[in-house]
Amino acid sequence: MRLGFLVDLSRCMGCMACAVSCKAENNVPLHSWRLRVKYIDQGEFPETKRHFVPLRCNHCDNAPCERICPVSALHYLPNGIVNVDHERCIGCASCMMACPYNAIYLDPITNSADKCTYCAHRIEVGMMPACVVACPTHANIFGDLDDPESEISKYLQEHRDVMVRKPELNTHPKHFYVRGSTVALDPLASERPEGYTLFTDVEFLDHIGGH
Amino acid sequence: MLGAEVTFDVALPKVVWGWLVSTNMWAKSIATGTFLLGLYFIKKYPEQDNFFRKWLPILGIIFIGITLLVTVLDLHHMFRFWKIFVFAHFTSAVTLGAWVVSAFVIVLLIAFWSWVTGNKKLLDRIMIPGFILAFFSTIYTAGIMGEATAREVWVFPAEMISMLLSAMIAGSAAYLVVDAIYGNVLKEEIRRELGYILFGSAGLAAAMFIGELFFAKIHSEFAYKTIEILAFGDVAPFFWGGMFLTFIIPMVLVGIANENKKYQYAFLGALSAIVGLWLIKHAWLIAPQYLPLS
Repeated sequence: MRLGFLVDLSRCMGCMACAVSCKAENNVPLHSWRLRVKYIDQGEFPETKRHFVPLRCNHCDNAPCERICPVSALHYLPNGIVNVDHERCIGCASCMMACPYNAIYLDPITNSADKCTYCAHRIEVGMMPACVVACPTHANIFGDLDDPESEISKYLQEHRDVMVRKPELNTHPKHFYVRGSTVALDPLASERPEGYTLFTDVEFLDHIGGH
Repeated sequence: MLGAEVTFDVALPKVVWGWLVSTNMWAKSIATGTFLLGLYFIKKYPEQDNFFRKWLPILGIIFIGITLLVTVLDLHHMFRFWKIFVFAHFTSAVTLGAWVVSAFVIVLLIAFWSWVTGNKKLLDRIMIPGFILAFFSTIYTAGIMGEATAREVWVFPAEMISMLLSAMIAGSAAYLVVDAIYGNVLKEEIRRELGYILFGSAGLAAAMFIGELFFAKIHSEFAYKTIEILAFGDVAPFFWGGMFLTFIIPMVLVGIANENKKYQYAFLGALSAIVGLWLIKHAWLIAPQYLPLS
């Protein structure tokens, strides 16, 4: 079994139900996110388009975070999930330096590294991840990549526009996007103007990154 | 359709590895550099080896102590640092480094005991393993940076050479400073040689930086953006300050000192190199962390 995720970006409407359900399910503290939705606006009025991109851990087959973690706090489960052992984590933040997707954060309450685990605790008892259940448009498709009959495998077979983030890094992510675009998936393909965003008062918090 | 703008993204930390990690690398350069150069001078000038047999362990223990202290302080779970030894994950350069530096500390303690008891043979016996451990203590951080896939300018072979050169700069500069403070106790020949080592390693390290910044073919847009941040962005004062203090000023002052036998200039050049080394390491460490990854 090799679990993977696929997001059909044409279905995502940016409601953030996935992000909210993830925070509720996993007790993610304020200012920290296991799953977040980025908005990108493209074009000039009236020719405009808004892209929504749910971002979470890519559970790479060749995960840099697993390789760099000095104590195996980040480790593979038999189903391919990259899991975190909070009790073992020493908080060195190497995984944050290694993850090219900015998917790992330091929990300000436990002081340990944390990230999306594909809701490993729910999978264990046969449930779907919280974000899959909460999505009103079934944009999140989750399942076994090794099973040709699973919905995700069929999706991957049927679509020719399957994308992953930063494929050049050879991390072999198990998180796919269909009907996406470069401006949505490449962090440098779109500008980040200051002062004109939807929420301009976003601040970097000392207690997360610093000491 | 024109360009695209990110209109909503949540706050994620900018600089995660900050000044404590810069200090770790800086102090480690001094500890390993003084050890490697100390061994060289003990072998080459056995008639004046007392200076190096004394200062090699003292400088080594002080600066490796600073390295270990800031490493532990930087952990968000500092009291769990021992887990590196009991749950060691050997694909990680962090783990390998912890083991190597721990062994290097033992070598430094033996070297210190050798000086205290006057038992020169004790240090002579551990010279080869000590050299190997000091060498790997210098370069293991390059392995960590190489494994940090998200920060694309930290490329392994270049980082390794850069760290070896940093050790040579820091080691020669530290000995020049100690010699000047204790009233120029070293033979002129040795002082000049230390000056040449500082001059040469600063020149090579500067050439590497200039080569990487201005002439290297940059394939990745992330690396290109990082260099922009480094040279013209928020990090530029650290970077250019470091370039002048670590490379240009020491080369000029040490050059004058060696040509005109005015060794007070070498002392100033050495001090400048030690201060500048911290700045340049800090700039190189934090610049890639300014890039958005989401």
